[in-house]
Amino acid sequence: MAAVIVSGIAAGAVYGLFALGLVLVYKTTRVLNFAQAEIGAFSTFVAYALIVNAGLPWGLGALLALGAAAAVGVGFERAVIRPLVGAPRLTLVVATIGLGLLLGGLEVKLWGIDPKLLPTPFHGSGLHVADVYLSPPRLLALGITAAAGLLSVWFFRRTTFGLALLAAAHDVVGVRLTGIRLRHLSAFTWGVSSVLGGMAGIVISLSLGAFAPFFLNRIMLLGFAAAVVGGMTSLPGALLGGIVIGVTEALVSHFWISVPGLVEAVMFGTIVVFLLVRPIGLLGRAE
Amino acid sequence: MVLFFAAAAALAPVLSRVAPGTFTPYLMLMLCFGLTYALAALPLNLLMGYAGQISLGHAAFLGLGAFATGIITGRDGLPFLLGLAVSALVGGLSALVIGLPALRLRGLYLALVTLGFGLAMFSLVFRLRTVTGGYAGVGVPRPEAGTFVFSRNADLLALIVVIFGLVWALDRNVVRSKVGRAFLALRQDEEVAAGFGIDVARYKLYAFVLYGALSAVAGAVLGTVIGFAQQESFTFDVSLLFVAIVLLGGARSRAGVAVAAFFFGFLPRYFSFLHGWELVAAPALVLYSLVRHPGGLGQSLELLRSARFGRAVGRGRQGAPVADGPGLGGGGAGGDGAAGDSGDEDTVATVTRLALPRPVGVDGAAASGGGTLEVRDIVVRFGGLAAVDGVSLAVDPGRITGLIGPNGAGKSTLFNTVSGFVRPERGTILLGGHDVSSLPPHRRAALGLGRTFQQIGLVKDLTVVDNLVLAQHRLADYGTPSALGHLPRAARREREMTARARETLVALDLERLGIHRLDQLSHGQQRIVELAAALLTAPGVLLLDEPSAGMSPAAAEALAERLLQVRDELGQTILLIEHHLPLVMATCTTVHVMDAGRLLASGPPAEVQSDPAVVTAYLGGVRV
Repeated sequence: MAAVIVSGIAAGAVYGLFALGLVLVYKTTRVLNFAQAEIGAFSTFVAYALIVNAGLPWGLGALLALGAAAAVGVGFERAVIRPLVGAPRLTLVVATIGLGLLLGGLEVKLWGIDPKLLPTPFHGSGLHVADVYLSPPRLLALGITAAAGLLSVWFFRRTTFGLALLAAAHDVVGVRLTGIRLRHLSAFTWGVSSVLGGMAGIVISLSLGAFAPFFLNRIMLLGFAAAVVGGMTSLPGALLGGIVIGVTEALVSHFWISVPGLVEAVMFGTIVVFLLVRPIGLLGRAE
Repeated sequence: MVLFFAAAAALAPVLSRVAPGTFTPYLMLMLCFGLTYALAALPLNLLMGYAGQISLGHAAFLGLGAFATGIITGRDGLPFLLGLAVSALVGGLSALVIGLPALRLRGLYLALVTLGFGLAMFSLVFRLRTVTGGYAGVGVPRPEAGTFVFSRNADLLALIVVIFGLVWALDRNVVRSKVGRAFLALRQDEEVAAGFGIDVARYKLYAFVLYGALSAVAGAVLGTVIGFAQQESFTFDVSLLFVAIVLLGGARSRAGVAVAAFFFGFLPRYFSFLHGWELVAAPALVLYSLVRHPGGLGQSLELLRSARFGRAVGRGRQGAPVADGPGLGGGGAGGDGAAGDSGDEDTVATVTRLALPRPVGVDGAAASGGGTLEVRDIVVRFGGLAAVDGVSLAVDPGRITGLIGPNGAGKSTLFNTVSGFVRPERGTILLGGHDVSSLPPHRRAALGLGRTFQQIGLVKDLTVVDNLVLAQHRLADYGTPSALGHLPRAARREREMTARARETLVALDLERLGIHRLDQLSHGQQRIVELAAALLTAPGVLLLDEPSAGMSPAAAEALAERLLQVRDELGQTILLIEHHLPLVMATCTTVHVMDAGRLLASGPPAEVQSDPAVVTAYLGGVRV
């Protein structure tokens, strides 16, 4: 039982990472980013191309892949989001769907639909805590999530730039008047959010073993469920929501392993119940 | 339109029998696919283009219809029509259940819920062996009518044309009824919609239930064309594809979306030479058209049509600005010209009586204005800040009462509390003697509370006449079934409301503007239309939030004349927030001054103006 919960927490850490990117964009621009899954998948493919095809060292390849993710995010903000300033929110949400389809189409064309394998950077045997085994990808997931979580909380609470970003979500003009250039803020948000998506994609591909185009669509549901559980606008909430979702998934698959698709149904139910009973989530704030 | 669909339906079987070489069964099947895609895209267009919501579970709704029909006609051997009916029922009910939690909230939570619904249906329900036959799926046989079986593809195509024609007509009826107008209003601004008495949550749910039912019907047809319903046909990608189709077609254009969907269903079998590059090209095109060409295919079609028929401003849909006619915002640069402000004497002279037509379906007492409004001890707090701090005031029937005060005094918050958009911490609101404190905004509107907004509270992309018809929403006393069928009662009411909107424009000397889109009017013109819209609902009490904002002094003066006319000839009770003091002085019998959430002074305008406390508040003296 403890083993199930611990592995749920480790998996949930990655969902939290994924949700963190979703919440970051939603908090600052009120856009639900449905491209997050494909941004993650695309980064994983780039990492694969650099590490396996081009033979770069693992760390360098992964870093460049995250750079590619940032480029996708910033490029999307420049080319699509910014020209659509003032457009209905529906248009922006649909634009993210368009980006997801575009990246997915590119993956299919460039790398095909056959599953690929990204090698793991570790040669260690992981960690045994009591009767619980943590594989290297799981440890990596926990480490990266903890670091990203602490970093983003520090960023939004302690830096001018981060505070300005939050303020911009409420009063764009007010922030402009303080002399901060909003266009950079918006591009920055999309860049950081995409890097988080890329990290989540690479880490998940390691623990899944193999990946293919659109492999994160299911994770996107878990990520959004985590965001809703956390309250959609709370960064710590996203991480906590990720853990809750991860543990829920682990328990459901542990007890009802013979019912495929039950996890998705439970996630759907979780979203519905939270919206119905507690729309501000565990850590969100009423507006 | 009926003739067109009837002819098309008759043509397919005839052509395939006369010239089987050209109109091969394969071509007919591809046409079936194309038309079914169009059928499947229409409901999503209704949801996205009109109600402003998005479904990422479109495939799941299609699948519901396909499996339901397969189970009913294939497994149980019951008639196809029953399959369609059950599909519609299952689709509509599912939409009701999952729409309830999502649509109570503002924002696009429906996207999240339908994402979950789509994946849950795909990975759990659609592969349950007991329900759907597992991976193998359920066979969906060709429909039968008596002894006739639609086994030939051309005959099936004819049947699909008929179904498509019916759904098309239903869609058109919805769009041109009060239901469609309510969708458009809440899509732009939920508060404005509620201000017109529209129950926002209920209409969002209507839209989604209608979407669910029609999508499931389309799914039933899709299952019939494919020949079986199987899990793999209803993936998340299919949902995304249809979102892209609606976008390419130009949300809100039935024709554009139908054409785009038709080609997505029809062409892939002929365009395999693209070697999958369409997977990249289609979304790239979607993004490009979003940024560069937001009207989509529908707009291009409309431009083409209006060019062919030589209509420069086809129903006011294009972006051409309204030419400044005589007396219309003449001379004023930008948006500061009110209607008639270039000839104030003219306007006042020609409109000696405000011949506002009597409202439809409202009895004389309510229609003649003269309502009362009283607020008692209202306290509103945002966090620790008291925006309104114990305000009590009464509005005299048949008079104009002013509410003035510096920025941030809490005037608009008080207005929003009276309208029901802001919940007070304590206090009572009496409208016509009834306590309305606990009612939602649309219920207060229905009880005779009209209001305008600081930003123009109308729908920008509707014509002026449509906006005025929208304003009569709560007077449109026909049911939703009547709206869907465009039955005589609904048609008659619609005609009456349109006539009334036009008469109002004539009375205001604005009839030239009727066919233009609202956002083509100058700001001053929009203000007058907004006032007319508010009056059309025959409110007992009318709240005006800074009606002269953005107007030139001359236009504000003309507005003052209008307000006095409204008061004297209709006996209208008005509560007015205003910064432009000459307007207040000219119109108000009593003025209340607010500062920092409290009432500072009350009384006749001249008296209040010389009150030392008021002078201090306005000129920024030292406050104690």
